[in-house]
Amino acid sequence: MSEPREKQAGHELMTLRLGHLYPDQLNLYGDRGNILTLQQRCRWRGIQLRVIELGIGDALDPDAYDLLFIGGGQDRDQAPVAQDLYETKSIGLWAAIEDDMPVLAVCGGYQLLAHYYRPANGPDLKGLGVFDAWTVHRGARAPRCIGDVAISWQGQTLVGFENHGGQTYLGTAQPLGKILKGFGNNAQDGTEGATYRNAFGTYLHGSLLPKNPHFADHLISLALKRSYGLSWREEWGTNGHTWSGNGHSDALDGKLVGLDVEAEAETPGVFIDPLVTLTSLDDSLEWEAHAAILERLGLSNAAIVALRSR
Amino acid sequence: MHENRPSRAERRDMRKERRGSNKKLTPTVEMHESEATQTTDADEVSASDPPVADHVLPPARQVNRRSGNALRASLAVVGGRAAGALSRRLHLGGGTSIAGVVAQGLYPDIIGHLSTQLKEGSILVTGTNGKTTTSGFIAAVLSDAGLRVWRNREGSNLTRGIAGALVIRALPNGKLRRAGQAISIFEVDEAVMPRAVRTLPTRVAVFTNLFRDQLDRYGEVDSVLERWQQTISTLSPETILVLNADDPTIAGLGKHFAGRVIYFGIEDRTLDLAGQDEANERHQVMDTRVCPTCGSEYTYTLRFYSHIGHYHCPACSDERPKVDVAASKVENESFDRTRIRVELPGQSGEITVPLPGLYNIYNALAAIATAQALELAWEPTVSGIEGFKPAFGRGERVQIAGRTIRMLLAKNPTGLNEVLRTLAANGNQQHVLFVLNDKIADGKDISWIWDVDFEQALANFATLTVAGTRARDLALRLKYAEVDPQALVIAPATPLRAERKKAPVTREHARRGRQRGNHATLLQEQPENKIYGISQALNSAISRTPEGETLFIVPTYTGLLEVHHELERRGLAPRYWEETGP
Repeated sequence: MSEPREKQAGHELMTLRLGHLYPDQLNLYGDRGNILTLQQRCRWRGIQLRVIELGIGDALDPDAYDLLFIGGGQDRDQAPVAQDLYETKSIGLWAAIEDDMPVLAVCGGYQLLAHYYRPANGPDLKGLGVFDAWTVHRGARAPRCIGDVAISWQGQTLVGFENHGGQTYLGTAQPLGKILKGFGNNAQDGTEGATYRNAFGTYLHGSLLPKNPHFADHLISLALKRSYGLSWREEWGTNGHTWSGNGHSDALDGKLVGLDVEAEAETPGVFIDPLVTLTSLDDSLEWEAHAAILERLGLSNAAIVALRSR
Repeated sequence: MHENRPSRAERRDMRKERRGSNKKLTPTVEMHESEATQTTDADEVSASDPPVADHVLPPARQVNRRSGNALRASLAVVGGRAAGALSRRLHLGGGTSIAGVVAQGLYPDIIGHLSTQLKEGSILVTGTNGKTTTSGFIAAVLSDAGLRVWRNREGSNLTRGIAGALVIRALPNGKLRRAGQAISIFEVDEAVMPRAVRTLPTRVAVFTNLFRDQLDRYGEVDSVLERWQQTISTLSPETILVLNADDPTIAGLGKHFAGRVIYFGIEDRTLDLAGQDEANERHQVMDTRVCPTCGSEYTYTLRFYSHIGHYHCPACSDERPKVDVAASKVENESFDRTRIRVELPGQSGEITVPLPGLYNIYNALAAIATAQALELAWEPTVSGIEGFKPAFGRGERVQIAGRTIRMLLAKNPTGLNEVLRTLAANGNQQHVLFVLNDKIADGKDISWIWDVDFEQALANFATLTVAGTRARDLALRLKYAEVDPQALVIAPATPLRAERKKAPVTREHARRGRQRGNHATLLQEQPENKIYGISQALNSAISRTPEGETLFIVPTYTGLLEVHHELERRGLAPRYWEETGP
């Protein structure tokens, strides 16, 4: 684990740095929604999330970021990205992932973090092999996996929309979750996505994070834990402030409000990171949108459970 | 809309609208054969000979006419028309689609059989945005030029719509009525284009633009492009292509075409995004960015919106083609009146486009270029475009309780960004009702709303209402754009089932409720926010729009149909049709 970041003198706001890989090439399915969600959910807690765009040719310094995001794109745009990822960023990305940096890779980005992507025609795109998995596109005639999708993740649900022609098969990689409704990795084995350390690959977009606030917060708390280490509690968390608004900064008052110590480990049935629990936000709208997808997939009981997370 | 005394063409249009009005009284979702009866109008039939009558038609791939085909065609026509009549009688719909479905079921090649009888051939219009408005402009120009115009209308642009449009004009013997002077305009879905050119004798093919749209239905932008390239390789060189020079993907379609290509584009440098807001430029959705020949990223010297502009490839010779029809000057006169100066080979002139937004300038240019392809005179081009009535949902206007309602269809990120930009140009403090549906015709994937630049538009909203099957998602999008929650009302299509049941209050639940205490949700504090369905959404939006002001309704495609249905139910849509009279 990297050294806990020093408290910067004179800086009252905690800062996280998000590296957004290939924002110009991989931005097909509302990937901006994922970035916006992370940014706003940090901001509403008084944490500043700086987004640094990493394009083709930019090196990836594993110490310069606290979390990484890579989205999905069209096949035409993916070839130069695959090449750059392999040639320019692979060592930095590997170092970051082995150092437990949270990484979210959606759709095309997920495919490129596995061993390879075999398109319907043309040469294989070489991936990084972070996930022991591979993807094969069975040609234009094979049906695409398209539709609303729900999976179970850590005892809770994740919902999204999937649209992929490639079928991903897992080797030793752990899936992100189990399919409740939808296709998932390959429409056969009931798995969806892949995880390795704190890297998450998934086909869920829609966008993924806005309707899955618990997953967004999981990524944020992993990043906080990793970058600010165990010392966060003494330095940042003693304030005990709670968050009361919908993005309006009355609660900021120049104080540190990002973390809610009292709520820690008290809420059974909800995934709680043992070290860091973020201040809860008013997520009624998020959970209603989440539950609406579950209901249209016929998962009424899951929808009731999800609404209770409000 | 017209302050001046209406021109002859406008008066004719108004009569058409009136004649169409009793059909509008029924809750139909599609326009239907009114076009066929309209064109028997004396002043149109007696108009001078069509200036294009002696053009040779491209040899369409003729169907093998085995002896049984005439019989099957007449069977298909009778069956289709009966189904259409039944559907109208039962008020199930306009009947065009069902007539097409039935006819195609009885004789799959009915389109090929009927369309080869069209003496003046067919104009096909395709592209992501602007199909309906562009074909509307073309129809207005052609009918002002004295041609008998047939169209498939109202977005019913799958093959069954084409089949239906032909069948309702056919006689029981399988022959088209008065096909001699008729020219047909078909707006064709991007994905249907290959099939359409195989069956229709295509005289002019118009490609407006290519953006991401309904990724679930069409696959990605690239796969649409691939289909189009194949389509064009099968076209006869007699066909004339009309292409948007400012969209690199569209312009590229002309590169290897053996026949004539007419490019249209905008040359007004003052419209460049770079001269405007930098943030605005940065967040534009770019659906084409790399050169298809060498894979390098395009360099833009001018960008108008998204990837539309003046571009060239820095690595190879690929660049924006020289345009044949150019708007050299674009001047906004008011919200929905834009004066453009048009440069044609050897002449130039001015036209007022009676619709809002830059995208409609492109639609008008496409129509002007089509008129050039058909060698029509300049006068009908001007009168056709200036007298144009907004198509269904593309800027149409309704009066309701002292407020004006205007509908601006937006079905993909670029379309919605342009609508927001058009609203911004109209000043701030707008009242807007968004209707976001995710039915098949809208595209089931709504992740594109996260690519729309609501952040830029926040200052322009006075009140906001979100409705539709995905209202919750749009509300969430607006929440993350930090829309003032006081200004926002959410009206999902239906309540959640889980909300309808009384959720059991568990101990844990109660404790967490206490713990949050002051986190009481907006929705609980404001029970009037719990409204559902399009009717309540409309009521709420109207009541929050002060009298005398305008409520803009920005729906996706099926949202538009629902709003229209609702207005018709309230007897407002017919009133609108009457109002357009003199």
